[in-house]
Formats: sequence, structure tokens, C-alpha cells
Amino acid sequence: MGENNTAGFNDNKKFDEKSFEDLYRRMYPTLKKYAIYLVKDIEDAQLILNDVFISIWKNETILSNEKAYLFRAIKNAATNYYKAPKANLLRIDNEEEAPEIIDLKETPSQAFQNKDRKRMLYALIDQMPERRRLIFYMYRIDGFSYKEIAALLDISVRTVEDHLVKGFQFLQEKVLKNSAEFR
Amino acid sequence: MDQDTWKLVLEYLAVKEDLRSSKAEIALMEKRLRDWVDQDSDREEQLEEVLLLWQDTAQLPDDGLWKESFASIKEQIEQAPLRKFKILKWWPAATAAAIIGALIFFIAGDKKSLTVNQNQVVWTTKTAAPGKIINVLLPDSSEIWLNSGSSISFPQNLKHAGIRTVKLNGEAFFKVKRDPAHPFIVKSQHIQTRVLGTSFNIRAWKNYRPEVTVLTGKVAVSRDSAGTQSAAVHLLPNQKVIYNMKLALLVREDVEDAKTSTDWRIGKMYFNKTPMEDVFQTISRKYALKVVSDRSFDNCELTAKFDNVGIEDVLRTLELTFDIHYTINKQIIYIKGGRCN
Repeated sequence: MGENNTAGFNDNKKFDEKSFEDLYRRMYPTLKKYAIYLVKDIEDAQLILNDVFISIWKNETILSNEKAYLFRAIKNAATNYYKAPKANLLRIDNEEEAPEIIDLKETPSQAFQNKDRKRMLYALIDQMPERRRLIFYMYRIDGFSYKEIAALLDISVRTVEDHLVKGFQFLQEKVLKNSAEFR
Repeated sequence: MDQDTWKLVLEYLAVKEDLRSSKAEIALMEKRLRDWVDQDSDREEQLEEVLLLWQDTAQLPDDGLWKESFASIKEQIEQAPLRKFKILKWWPAATAAAIIGALIFFIAGDKKSLTVNQNQVVWTTKTAAPGKIINVLLPDSSEIWLNSGSSISFPQNLKHAGIRTVKLNGEAFFKVKRDPAHPFIVKSQHIQTRVLGTSFNIRAWKNYRPEVTVLTGKVAVSRDSAGTQSAAVHLLPNQKVIYNMKLALLVREDVEDAKTSTDWRIGKMYFNKTPMEDVFQTISRKYALKVVSDRSFDNCELTAKFDNVGIEDVLRTLELTFDIHYTINKQIIYIKGGRCN
């Protein structure tokens, strides 16, 4: 599910700029959200993300499972990144989400007007609380399993499922409300 | 649709889209879903709707946001000195000999190749002589205080460079002009320090373990060996990183007050279990003197604080601490005797 995970390198496994850029394009949306989730800072997340890619390029790392590798690399880099202990205390599983970090580009109503259902849906998804949105992306776009997501986010499988279910419920409600506009 | 049903739907979809699922597994899930649908007349429609929702979220519409951040990667890659195209190129040349079954390879070694795109950037170097501390304003409005006996080099096009790179020998305090689109990188012995806009102090004296202390903002420090960087250690205000040269390891520590790391700017000196050899070096830089001693202080350490005092005061303290005798002759201090406590 999601987009394929095996492309990105041509048959000779040689790293060319095109496939590198392609890999970045495909992985960027979720990876960036994941990095932001881990370090709670957009600029630092960006630095960490780009560092990972630059080291892949420089070391000409050949990735057999690029998706798993990249998420793992981001997690490691974020672990090295120091976070004030205070902030850690605020992490309460499953309860109120941490303050929103928003990177909205299009409001749902704008998307309505564009009559573009996919865009509209993702504009709605981007309105979900941070963690829920991240889990949604990891599941739907990157095709991770509940278990994999749970490991990457250090939460339980049940919590992952719960977020996904609530996320889909939220989408469904919103869509029903506006079903006239796009069916 | 309630949560339990959503769980069921998601489970069904996961099984159905998993290539490893057997037919029996899929059939079982389909049956469970069917049972749910059959319980009420409007459920067929609900399910249809939900499956459509699933289908339409399969692909993320490309919003192009990635392009901007990829651009900065590209810049860094292209700046990187030699992306190793060192793989020698083998030109298989089929000559007439090929006809009789012999293959001859020519090795064409064009190691430098392709990426060299030096538009001859002019570098400027500023040096603080021993006994002097100087203030340097960089073209991008970043400000640097250079400790005695240190030097900084920067390209003249710094303001317009995609990545603002400078090189440091010795110790300096930086106040970097904030510009998130153009990271600021300080290269010094063993380490590389990367920031967006902050103030921090770097100690990178030759043969002495490098240290970076952060006053404001965030800083990423990585090990640098022959142009290859390790994973970065991230620092927040009142933290420092020390590079342990023996273990080749960056160690992060909290500091009480990062400002003290820049007190050299107002002439203060702090020694905290500092080997005497380094103490002498610091003194000779600050007072533009040479220290000559008749014995080694190999296992001696000093812990002391000096305000901006004259050399005589410093030497008197050493005299009391280590029981040394000293004489000053022009720009040379001669030290006799002494023992460690």
C-alpha cells in the first residue's frame, strides 16, 4: 500500500541524482513530520532530515529497505539531539496532544472550491492533531504496519490503532457534512 | 461509523492489501465484514463510502513543499569538495584484437573530474596577534571576537553563499546573523559547528581538545575528519560539547553559566584542572610572552580564576601554588623549580 518502496535506485543500484531527488520527494512529507514530532522544532527537524539525506549521498549508502532505514536514521539523529527534560514530562500518551505545529498550505474550504477531492482530504488530514496526523501518514502513505509505527513512535500498538480509527472517523464525519460538495 | 467497525474495516483492508495474505484469510475478513453489512439496510452504502475514502487517501497530492528544502541539500552536495567520483573509469576498448578474443581495458584515471566548479572564491584571513583581541564583522553582519593568537578565514562572497562557511584556528566567540535559509558553518580542528543564528564560543587550539559552548540558540556540532562529518550533537544554551581526541568522541555537558566561556573577551582567565602546559600557552598568548621552564610540569594541573590582571599577579599566584621562582626578561619568563601539590 502507499507508494512503492523499492524504486529510487535503478537496476545497477548506482546512485544518481534523479533517483536521489525522487527518494527525497517521496519520503519528505512523512519523514519531516516524524522529525518534527521527535524534536518539536521545525528548523531542527529540517536540519536533521537533510543531514540524513546528505550523509546517504556522501557515503553512497545503498539502501535495501530505504523506508525503514530512513525512519530509523531520523530516530537516531533525534536521539542525539538533546531535549530539555522538562519537555519530556509533558508527554502523556493518548491524552491532550502537544501544542500544534502547523504547516498548513491550503484550507479545506479552498480545496472544496478547487473541487479536488484528494487535496481536500489531505487538507482535512492536516487538521488532525500532530500525532494522529503523523500516524495517518505513516500508515496510509508509507505503508507501515501498526507494529512498525508503534516502535518508531515508542507508543503501544493499541494507541496506534486508536489514532487511526479516530482519524478515519474524523475524516468520514467531515466528508459526510460536506458530501454535497464532492460526490 | 463506530470505532469497532472502523477497526474491522482497517483490518480487512490490511489483510486484503497484504500480498502475503492467503485466500482463506481474505475470505474470513470478507465474511466478517459482510456479517456487519447484513445487519442493517444502510450499511452497504456506508461501507462503500468508507472504501472510497480509503482509496482516495492512498496518494498524497504533491504540494511541492519538498522542493525548497531539497534545494538546500543540493547546494551542500554541490559544495562538498569531492563527491567521490574517484572510481577509475574503465574504457573497454574493443580493438582489432577483440576479433581474436582478447579484450583490452584502458584505465583512464580522471580523478578530479566533473564537479570541480571553483569560481575562484577569494578568502580573507584575520588574525589576532598575541596579546590582542580583535573584533571582526563578517560580510553577512555576523560578529566575531578573536582571542589572542587565533585566526579566522572567510570567503568574500559570504553574504551570498548558500552556506556560510568560515574556518577557525584558535578560539573565538561568534554572534551569527540569523538566516535560516543559509546555515552558518565553522570548520575548525577536528570539529565542524553548524548553526542558523546564535551566539557561541569555540575553543579549537592546536593540540588541545576542542570545545563549543552555546550562549543562545541552537548549535549542531559534528566530528570532522578529512571532510567527512559524523552525526551531529545538538546543543542548547548553557551546554557545551568537548571533543575527546583519544576516543574520537563528542561529549555533551551542561555548564552553569555559558557566558564565562567568553570572559576571555574582557581579559579574564579560567583554569579548571587545566594541565600546566596549557596554562603556560594561554598566558603566553594573552600577554604576548614566552614561557621557559627548566623542568616539565607534566602531571600538574591548575584550578584558578584571574580577573583582568597583570602578568605579575598571575605569576605570583603560580609562585604560591607551585613553589616556583620566576624572572622576567623582556618578553621571556624564566621559571625555575616548582612542584605539584
